[in-house]
Amino acid sequence: MIDRELAEKIAACVKCGSCRAVCTLYPERRTEVNVARGKIALLESAMAGEVGLPACGAIPLGEERDAAVREALADCLLCGRCERNCPNQVAVEEILVAGRTRFADKLGLPVWKRILFDEVLPSARALNAVRAAGNAAQHLLRKMPTESGLHYRFPDVAGLHGRTLPALPPIGFVASLGKDEARAGEVMLFPGCVFDLVMPEIGRDSYETLKAAWGEVTVSRDAACCGLPALASGDRAGAMKAISKNLVAMRAAAPRSIVFPCGSCLKMFRRDLLNVIPTDHPLRDAAEWVAERCVDYATSILDSPLVRILVPAPAAFGAGSVGWHDPCHLSGTLGRGEAGRELLERAVGRGFGEMKGTDRCCGYGGTFNARDYPTSARIGENKISLAIQGGTSTIVTACSGCILQLRDMAARVSRQTRVRHLAQVVRGLLPA
Amino acid sequence: MEATSRTCLKDIFGDRFKDSPEDRLCYAYDATGKEFLPDAVAYPVDAEEVRQAILLANERRFPVIPRGAGSGFSGGCLPVRGGLVLSTERMNRVLSIDPANLLAVVEPGVVTETLKEEARRFSLFYPPDPASMKFGTIGGNIAECAGGMSAVKYGVTRDYVLGLEAVLGSGEMIRTGVSTAKGVVGYDLTRMLVGSEGTLGFVTRATLRLLPLPESTGTLLALFRDNGEASRAVAGIVEARITPSAMELMDRSAIDCVRRVVALDLPEETGCALLVEVDGAPPSVASELEGVEMALRAYGAIEVRRATDGPGRERLWKLRRSISPALRKIAPVKLNEDIVVPRSALPEMMAFLSELAARERLTIVNFGHAGDGNIHVNVMISGTDSDERRRADAAVETIFRKTVDLGGTISGEHGVGISKAPFFEMEVGPLGVSVMKRLKAAFDPNGILNPGKIWLEESAVTR
Repeated sequence: MIDRELAEKIAACVKCGSCRAVCTLYPERRTEVNVARGKIALLESAMAGEVGLPACGAIPLGEERDAAVREALADCLLCGRCERNCPNQVAVEEILVAGRTRFADKLGLPVWKRILFDEVLPSARALNAVRAAGNAAQHLLRKMPTESGLHYRFPDVAGLHGRTLPALPPIGFVASLGKDEARAGEVMLFPGCVFDLVMPEIGRDSYETLKAAWGEVTVSRDAACCGLPALASGDRAGAMKAISKNLVAMRAAAPRSIVFPCGSCLKMFRRDLLNVIPTDHPLRDAAEWVAERCVDYATSILDSPLVRILVPAPAAFGAGSVGWHDPCHLSGTLGRGEAGRELLERAVGRGFGEMKGTDRCCGYGGTFNARDYPTSARIGENKISLAIQGGTSTIVTACSGCILQLRDMAARVSRQTRVRHLAQVVRGLLPA
Repeated sequence: MEATSRTCLKDIFGDRFKDSPEDRLCYAYDATGKEFLPDAVAYPVDAEEVRQAILLANERRFPVIPRGAGSGFSGGCLPVRGGLVLSTERMNRVLSIDPANLLAVVEPGVVTETLKEEARRFSLFYPPDPASMKFGTIGGNIAECAGGMSAVKYGVTRDYVLGLEAVLGSGEMIRTGVSTAKGVVGYDLTRMLVGSEGTLGFVTRATLRLLPLPESTGTLLALFRDNGEASRAVAGIVEARITPSAMELMDRSAIDCVRRVVALDLPEETGCALLVEVDGAPPSVASELEGVEMALRAYGAIEVRRATDGPGRERLWKLRRSISPALRKIAPVKLNEDIVVPRSALPEMMAFLSELAARERLTIVNFGHAGDGNIHVNVMISGTDSDERRRADAAVETIFRKTVDLGGTISGEHGVGISKAPFFEMEVGPLGVSVMKRLKAAFDPNGILNPGKIWLEESAVTR
């Protein structure tokens, strides 16, 4: 985004403060720098080459000040609630990402992020290698059975804060596909790297249910990360690398629709893609073609004949015990939460009950979880506690980050709380 | 602010004292579009910390600026002379709700909506409802004496503040008012502090009056051909001895503004709309809705829509709620004023605003709380045309003069702050200013509390 465009977007913020009412982070910190208008004010001053504004008396930006503004911009979950609540419809996410890009270009990224975004995430082979290494290393950690599968509890040292993560599998979902599986079909599945390599059972459930819905389903054997982590960190080059690989594979497969079980990946392809790829880029046509065909998992199943033969399994769930968690990107940014809710209600019948705090952010926020785990955990623990208060014992959702976070938080708050992907629920109801 | 003061403040507040450029910049603004950099920000958690900071400020002579959510439209919390911003963000507890005596005791940083929700749990009701209530704080509402849509029936913040605990500008701690339904002992210092824009004292605790929660609400949207009919209908409803809980007027310019960005299901000839809400027990709501509808039709409403359920009422509110977002689409800058005229003068004021807009070639969008004569006058500016800016500034002064001539006030709910300081004397007169300055000196002898506000010569700030 050129600076003139960015300045216009920034000028739309009149600093009324309505972003304070809905900010996920603000209740935890209670300082202005944590809400959108504070960050926008900082970016505005940074663009002017100084901190402060003419009437205030300016303070020139040096490296230390640059780093401080960069930190302020990075300290956000990008849940988008401020943007949706803004009376002036300020494009907060675009502004913050543009700001992060500006500072990433100026100051560079930390080495670990550079390697991750430029070398690992855009490469299926590298991603698989990391999974394999993790699989080998995790035997040093403590196994922890949870209701939602085998997990590892990290030690409460070295900034790991006793976090719980799923066991990395010996083989990913895509690698597990047989030679003749998933070669062609009108529907293409983009499982995303988490549902491919970290929770391959969800990749498999998505695949099997889509197959039951639409017949043959294509899966790219060379899929890269969707590019959102790199983009959100301001690494546009890294994001482009990942996007380009995926776009080429998607265009070549020429599906009627591309289905995303992860809301964040879908947001990347439906909303961010056309902002990232310039209009004169060689892949622009492919990007437009792809963006039009991207659909969320629930909508794809609801549009299929399968939905008519799904028989709710009320016996499996207590009345009102199954709740839907609205992923910020899927339900908020893309407005597809109702499809997830409708499919879940069809699947579990009277087992469905509106979850208390359903539209609250889970606190994951991509790299925010790594950046400030204690805060991320407090937000997530509150979310789980609220759900339990409302009588929800099974939380169903459709976003990889939310599932990682909610399972971790359930392990901290209540191990009886189950966290499942919509596809797992639907697969359980497939006719034999 | 000198280094010694900073050291002392760090001793008082520890890591809740901030003076990095980034932290200071985030407390340099509010919703006026102006910025002034403070020297530092601190987040007190109790009255004692506030007292210590203000005593230090008296000793070292630096300004102290109380700040709630920074959502004001008049610059009341802007640090125009630098100094220490004392934010109430960490003093945010609802200390008690007393259903037997219909009272709430709160700290200043409580968000107004939070108090309303807490009260609702006891089937009680805190009526003031400023547009910023989801993020604005009780302390800020008290400082500016915030109003809102329900003021026509329930009054404004002032009417619900029974007593206060505050640290005066002198650093002395004072308790004012009562915790009883009534009390007439001595001067009403509570009312002195409410609406004083943080220039007399820093409120650290408030005792607020609550009411029983109304059982039901009904809403009517009446469509008129012109502003005159609608503003006469406002008086007609009052004459029918009905007191609505909201009575919002949207003139032709506001409707046209919304039409440019949102599809509206309104008849083509709609030139003005009046949204009326009544609340109370279901039978009285039903009969009041009948009475209001009769009055609306008698004054020429071409259509009246009615709803009593949540979604239906929300549909009727859509037009009103769409105005603010739509304003941005027609011009990037608005001079947002909040004049009040006697209800009977509303038709004359509305006609005057239309004529002024045409004469000065300006877009002036008017809407607001017509039930209490409070009009939000928005003079829209493209942001690039200096002649337009000059005409807009002149128009605002003309509007203020007309308002005062009609027996009205230049601010119904935003306060004077820095925005209206140039026009303050126009309304209160030189003697009014002089008496107020003497009162200020009694509360804040060294002038350290929120300096540069309300009166022009100390503000050194023009619009």
